[in-house]
Parts: sequence; C-alpha cells; structure tokens
Amino acid sequence: MTRDQLYEVAENWFEEQNWKPFAFQKKTWKAFLQGKHGLLNAPTGSGKTYALWFPIILDYIKKNSDYRDKHKKGLKAIWITPLRALSQEIKQSAERVAHDLGTQMTVGIRSGDTTAKERAQQKKKMPDLLITTPESLHLLLATKGYPKIFKDCSAIVVDEWHELLGTKRGVQMELGLSRLRALSKNIRIWGISATIGNLDQARQVLLGPDSEALEKSVLIKANLKKKITVKSIIPKEMETFPWRGHLGLRLLEEVIPIINNSKTTLLFTNTRSQCEIWFQKILEKHPEYAGEIAMHHGSINKETRVWVENAIRNESLKAVVCTSSLDLGVDFAPVETVIQIGGPKGIARFLQRAGRSGHRPGKESVIYFLPTHAIELVEASALQQAVKQKAVEDRMPYLNSYDVLLQYLTTLAISEGFYPNEIFKEIKQTFCYQAVSEDQWSWLLNFLVIGSQSLQSYDEYKKVEVEEDGRFKVNNRGVAMRHRFQIGTIVGDANLTVRYQKGGYIGTIEEYFISKLNQGDVFTFAGRNLEFIRIKEMQVHVRNSRKKTSKVPSWGGGRMTLSAQMSKLLREELYKVSLDKKEQSRELKSLAHIFKQQRVDSIVPKPDEFLIETFKTRDGYHHLFYPFEGRFVHEAMGSLLGYRISLLSPITFSLAFNDYGFEILSDQEIDMQQVIDNNLFTTDYMSSDLEKSLNSTEMARRKFRDIAVISGMVFTGYPNKGIKMRHLQSGSQLLFDVFRDYEDDNLLFQQAFTETFEHQLEEGRLRISLERIETQTIVWKQCAKPTPFSFPLITDRMSREKLSSEKLADRIKRMAAILSKK
Amino acid sequence: MTQVLKIKNNTFILHPLSVIFWEQKSMLIISDVHLGKVSHFRKFGAAVPQKAIQKNFDLMTEAIEYFKPETICFLGDLFHSSINKEWQLFEKWIIEQNLEFILVEGNHDIISPLRYEKLGVKVVPEIQSDGFLLTHHPEDRAGFFNFSGHIHPAVRLRGAGRQTLRLPCFFQKENQMIVPAFGQFTGSHSLTPSKKDKIFAVTKEAVFEVEV
Repeated sequence: MTRDQLYEVAENWFEEQNWKPFAFQKKTWKAFLQGKHGLLNAPTGSGKTYALWFPIILDYIKKNSDYRDKHKKGLKAIWITPLRALSQEIKQSAERVAHDLGTQMTVGIRSGDTTAKERAQQKKKMPDLLITTPESLHLLLATKGYPKIFKDCSAIVVDEWHELLGTKRGVQMELGLSRLRALSKNIRIWGISATIGNLDQARQVLLGPDSEALEKSVLIKANLKKKITVKSIIPKEMETFPWRGHLGLRLLEEVIPIINNSKTTLLFTNTRSQCEIWFQKILEKHPEYAGEIAMHHGSINKETRVWVENAIRNESLKAVVCTSSLDLGVDFAPVETVIQIGGPKGIARFLQRAGRSGHRPGKESVIYFLPTHAIELVEASALQQAVKQKAVEDRMPYLNSYDVLLQYLTTLAISEGFYPNEIFKEIKQTFCYQAVSEDQWSWLLNFLVIGSQSLQSYDEYKKVEVEEDGRFKVNNRGVAMRHRFQIGTIVGDANLTVRYQKGGYIGTIEEYFISKLNQGDVFTFAGRNLEFIRIKEMQVHVRNSRKKTSKVPSWGGGRMTLSAQMSKLLREELYKVSLDKKEQSRELKSLAHIFKQQRVDSIVPKPDEFLIETFKTRDGYHHLFYPFEGRFVHEAMGSLLGYRISLLSPITFSLAFNDYGFEILSDQEIDMQQVIDNNLFTTDYMSSDLEKSLNSTEMARRKFRDIAVISGMVFTGYPNKGIKMRHLQSGSQLLFDVFRDYEDDNLLFQQAFTETFEHQLEEGRLRISLERIETQTIVWKQCAKPTPFSFPLITDRMSREKLSSEKLADRIKRMAAILSKK
Repeated sequence: MTQVLKIKNNTFILHPLSVIFWEQKSMLIISDVHLGKVSHFRKFGAAVPQKAIQKNFDLMTEAIEYFKPETICFLGDLFHSSINKEWQLFEKWIIEQNLEFILVEGNHDIISPLRYEKLGVKVVPEIQSDGFLLTHHPEDRAGFFNFSGHIHPAVRLRGAGRQTLRLPCFFQKENQMIVPAFGQFTGSHSLTPSKKDKIFAVTKEAVFEVEV
C-alpha cells in the first residue's frame, strides 16, 4: 500500500465513527510513516492515543501486505505509561484499531499488577503491542535473552513524558531507550507531553542530544483551544478567616452548593491526609451524600481506585475527593467542575487539574480555588493571571545520576551481562550521562566489581564479576534476586499493607505512622475508622471501629514549592496592593483588612523594597525575611544568610520557611544593622558559602536516602513476601555518616550534594533572586508584635532546619534532655 | 574530657570513645562493637567503605593506650554476624594486645565460644563482682548495679529557639548504666529519660552530663 492509501484507511475509520481526525493527528501519522522520531505536544483527552497507535498499525500493514490472513509474531511496539492505572484504557483503544483495521495484532499489558503466570506466557509469546511502565521495561532487560524480544521492535512511545522528565524515572527511561536503540536499528522513538516550558529540551532528552534521531525528528503541537475559568471561593466573613492553616475546612459549606449544581465534581487536595480528612468531614456534616461521594489517592488499594474511576464514568458519583492520583489520564466526561483546595503551587498542575472538567474538545473548563488561609488568596489572584498568560513552568532533567546508572548496569549484569565499551558508548548518547568521563566510568565499574577503588586483602565484596572475555556478569543468585526486587527509582518510606484481620486488603501505610500507634488505637484510613490490632509480617491487622478519632496517617514526601513563574506572578500581585484599588483583583480586595493591619504593624513592600521584620516572643528572637520566591529558594537563602550571620558571631538558630518568606529564630538577637551593612545578600562566594552552611549536609543526608536505595547500597527487604532481611538493613543515615568519615570522594556521596544544590536548593534561582534583592531597598521594621505576614511562619513547628556555629559544648550547656511524659 | 563517677565506692571513668574504665578492677568495658558488620554488608553486595573496618581496631587500641587496663570486657555483640574475614583481623589484633579478654555474650554473638577460647577470650553469660552485674541486655536484679549494652542509647536535647540535638549517651538509672555502642558502623536508639535518670552525652571530644 502507498502512504496515501494508508491515510485513507485511517480516515475511513474516523468517518465510520463519525469523527474527523485533527490536524495534529494527521501530521503525526505522516511524520511517523516517513520514519521520523518526534515529540507530540497534546493534552489528555485530545485523541493523542490515536495519533500514535494508527501509524504503528499502518506501518505493520504496509510491511505485511498479507496482514489480513497471516500474523507475523513478535513484539512490534512498546507504549510506556507512567501510571499503570492508565494501561487498560490505552489497551482498549489499541485493540479497537487493530481489530477494526482487520489485523490480527495482539495487545498486552506488563506492569506490577501483571501476574507471574501471565508474565511467563508473555515471555514465551510476546504480544505485538506491549503497554508497560519504565520499571517493567527494566525488568524485561533483567531477563535472560532480552535482546531477542526487542530485535524487531519498530516503535516505542513514551506517554506523559512531561511527568517522567525531571524525575529519576525519566533517567531510567533514557537508559532503557539507549539500549533499545542499539538492539533494534529501525526503532522509532516518540514522546507525548502536555505543555511545559521547555518542550524543545524535552525532545532533546527523549532522543539524546546531538543524536541522529534528534536530527530526524519533529515537534508537533496540538494547539487545541481550551477556555478555562478560575473562580476563587472568598470567605463571607473575611475578618475571622484564619491567617494560617492548610486544611481549608472552614470553607466546607461553600463547597456544598457547587457539588449540588454539577453532575460530578472533583475536589483536589495536596496531600493524602488532607484528602482523608476532607472526605470524612464532608460525610460527617452531610450524611445525605453517603454512597454518592468517594475518595481516591495513591495509597488506597487498586480495586477501590478502579471502582471509583468507573463510578465517575458511570455518573454514579456526585463528588470525589482526590489527590494528584487523578491528575493524569483517562477521560472522565461527566466531570463538570473541579475544586482545588489549597495552593496548587504550579501552573501546569493547576491547568492540568482544570482540564479534568469539561473534558471534551470545545467545552469550557471550570475550576474553583478554595484558600486554606488568608494569604493564599494572593496566590489565587496570581493563578488568575497565570491562566491568562499560560505561563507554564519548566521540568528540569537530571544530570549524572550515578545511582540510576549503577542500578541499570547491575540490571544488565544479571541477565545477559555487558561489555563496558559497548554500553559506555550507548550511555554517552543520553542527555543525563553525556558528560560522564572515562574516569568516572571506571570508578563506577570498580564500585560494582570490587566495591571500592583499590583491591584490599580480607575483602569479600561480591556483586558483579568480570568473566574471561571481559563481560561483566552477576553469577550469584542471591544478588540477582535482591536486585530484581529493587528495580525502580521511586523510593517511599517502608510501607506496610493494611488488612482486616479476617482478610481483605485496604491499602498501604507508612511504617512511621503505625510505629506511633498502640494496640486498640483507632485511626482513619481509606475513609474508614479502623482499630489497630497488631503488626504481623509487614502487615497491619485492623478491624472496623465506631469510635471517633482524630488520627489520620500522614504520608511523607510531597512538600511542594512554588515554581519560578508562579513566584513572579505572586510578587506582582502583592505589589498591586500598593496601587489603585481598580488594579486589584476581587481576591486582593477581600484581603484589605489584613493589609491594613500589616501596614499598622509593619509595611506592605513595594516592587523596589525588600522587607525584613524583627520582634521578640516567648519562643525567642524572630527575624523574618520576605523574598516571595517559593519554599525551596527560601530554604537555600535562609541557610546561606544563616551561615553568613554565624560568621559575625557564634550563634545557634532554627529556620522556618514557606512560599512567601523565611524566619530565623534564635535565643540571641541578631544585629540586623550589621547584616545590612555587611551586605550579606551578596552573590559573591554564594556557592562556596552555601556548601559550608551546615544545613546543606543535612539536606544531602536526606537526598542520600533515595540514592542509597536506587544504587543498591541499602536493601529494603521483600515487602510483599513479609521478609524483612533485618541483618542486611542499615539506615541510609548511618551509611551517609560512614561515607562522610571514610570515603567522601565516593561519587554517590557527592551526588547527594549535587542533587541538593541543583534540585533542592535551586542554586540558579537563588542567584537570580539575590541579584533582584541587590537592586531593592532593604526596609527593616522592628515590630512590637507578630505581623500578619509573619504569622504562618512563626507558627510553623514542622519544617525547622537547624544551624549552629557555636561549640558543641557551649550549646549542650544551654540545653536539656527531652523528658518522657510518663 | 572524661567524667568520673563513684558508684558503690568504686570509681568509673566515662570516656568519649564510648568506653568505661573500672578503676578498682583495672577493667575497660566496651559494648556493641559489631565487628564484621561492614564485611557482612560487602559480602552481600553493599559497598560500605572498607576503611570503617580498621577504624574499630584503631579506636580500641587508642582506648587501651589511654587507660592501660589489665582486662578488657566486651558487653556483647562483639561480632555482628557469622564468621567472615574480619575475624582474621580480630585474631591479629587480640594477639598483639597481650591482655585478659572477657566476652559477655550478646544476641549477635553466634560465633562458637570455642573459637574465642582458642584466642584466650573467655566467653561468659554474665559477670557478677562486688555487687556489680555485667550483662548484654539491661537487667534489674536485686542487690546489684548493672552495666549493659544492647540498646545503643542516644538522647535528644532541646534548647531555646526550638533547637534540638541528638547524641549517643551513657544512660544511668538508679541501679543501671547502659553503655553506648562502640562500633563505627552501628546506629543508635533515642531514649527518653525521666527525672530520676542521669544522662552523659558523648561528643568526639568529651562526655557531658546533661541537665534532665
């Protein structure tokens, strides 16, 4: 068949459905059939799956003219999805096209949910089209004989690439692609991404910088027009609306009419515990919703989640309280309204959520913003601007992630083994490892083979062996088995499964939370009140309880920061406060009384002003700074400033930070005039000062945890088998200290610091904000009492970082042991 | 900087290396060294730095040179795992010392006592002497003051300005002293003291009594 005949086949199919292909779909078909690689920029629910399934199947038809009668066996295309929950949906579309066009192609799913039996069958006979996750792809690379599986694979599509980019799963994907490219010479690589700030870079990371593939690639934009309306929920009694908080329950009643007026409403919360609490409170206040509202988050068991998703589709639910677990994927046509509870922190995320409603081409999306405390209304106002300007943030890809590379090399070593020269060439073509030197490469190989850089007597290190012909191979079954359990780059806390004593899986919960419970305690989970009975073999046994409780598990991770774009909009909104009322949004006007109080106690800064406030309370001396740059930058700036202050005189303090500013709290008063006179906000020596601030070590220590697990240094046990392998478990903390004391040139140890500076402290953004502060006038207000701006900061008891330049002995003299309450 | 304690008319010196010297007996008490742990991890493919192995021996030697004891008493968990090549280093080290060695057995000590005996290390379940009881697990026994290990105690300190600090410690109760872990590759466990307890926090340079 000619290309034109093939397009006709596709267009006929669309006609049969009474649809018309979009321009971007046709462009994608063409580029693919021309043998090009590419990145397709299209939002969820726009028909992006058909944009790529069609040419994959058409390509098969083209190559096999007897496709109707004969079936050529073997894997032909791989579809990567970051969320396995989406795979069913993708499978259905693929099967539909494959069947309607008269091919005998088969479609299969391989993910963590696939049974061992199915997996074994697949290995014997691969489906033509395989839908899988980055982790499961690597597990395939860990099986013997994998090169044969991929030999004739002609396409790989990475769906939701924006979700993977900027994470280590993305790095894992880059590595997988580098191997597939070598195994199958004719493979076409395609990515699908929602709109992000750095789409061009996203294509580069997918295909490899300076690669032939990049040269032979296209970027196709769907450019679908979508109207988004943002409505802020403004409290009726603004005067009594709290100045701090993160739950937002105060406005619960405002949500009820919205739910009633819409077919189905999604309520997005920022954390899983907030999700639990909202669900419970709505039912408590409005029992009439029983059976009509549901909850959806990542720790609830799969069956329940699937049930909720189906119920949304069947229009049998009025509302669903959810987390980012419903950010992605499937089409929920009945969703008419979306409510965002608390600041979404990023514009892309907010737009994505807004897009969950009116999920049909041409329909309007409506999203309500519900503030959890007063100042958040400024954020609401900034979001309005963001939606207008479509200011979307970048996703920053990782560089030199040695941990993921070590894991990958071990993966290759347990299946077929690898020859370093061959693999080095492949990884050098990826974005992440383009700058890895020969020295670093041999360091990594030594690390795998002898566990250090020089051979020692008495050493029994065992992992990868070098065979006579130079092949790197794992021959120890224990090493191979432990490694298979560890493949992946998402590291959570130790999770326990929650079950009823009589059987019945409810979900997973972090060990940390359970460790604080005693037998008989009642806690809320998955919308139920459960009584804790015991922990047995990594399982938490519970029974239903009627008792009321306020204990809701908290899940780690997920503290988000404002993006650079969002911070800028936020500052601009705030500066409007000093302008004419006409320039101000509804949200800003509603905050008038707070700004009035702020002016009485201090000032509301103008664009050319940088505000510092100081005052004293029972807790000590408070020093507050307001750069409005997002919590990560504030964390970095707080550390930096703290370090520089500590050089003036020995001092111990703790740091608190949020998206608006940071606080230095100490038992001594800081001489602020000296801080200003010595120009401590300078960008001179910024990097080296930042490195020296004690805080960076603490932050690196936390980063090291993931690195230790991903690289295989720390073994997390076999959670599903209930085997803990205690004798091989060491805290990554302990490991970090041992590296610090004995091997600080270790690349993994150093990686913890690099990641801290580049991804956590956002060094680049810090420099830009310091440069901005240098152009502003510093206004130092000595206040009599806490100001409205300071309130959320000084009451934050959670995220305190400590720093000290005093001698340990001097500190200990002024401290006391924390006593038991008994 | 050490701390000197008088207990039942005996003198005990707490040293920042996390050891106790019992003056009247000229006995150095060391707990939870966990030798062999680094090698054990390496054997299973976790590349813990090898230098941490030698450090245990260097620090033990340092403590011996400081106090010049006649007897060394290990309060259990001397060896972390089943036998591995670190045992050979241990053998070499023991022979160099020319002192009396006693091991009070701990839960990790699964290596045959015969091997220890061959090296001249006496293995006992506990030691009773002059009203003092030395065990691995902490014990309350009438009429005795107990020295033990096992817990790897640490303490959390709190100061003004919401500062906190966590340090390994000697944890003293009315009739009991729990000794911090000596091993370089061991963790610690935070204990919360009550008013009656005494806490001696350990830093690299000194042992401090902490206000409770």
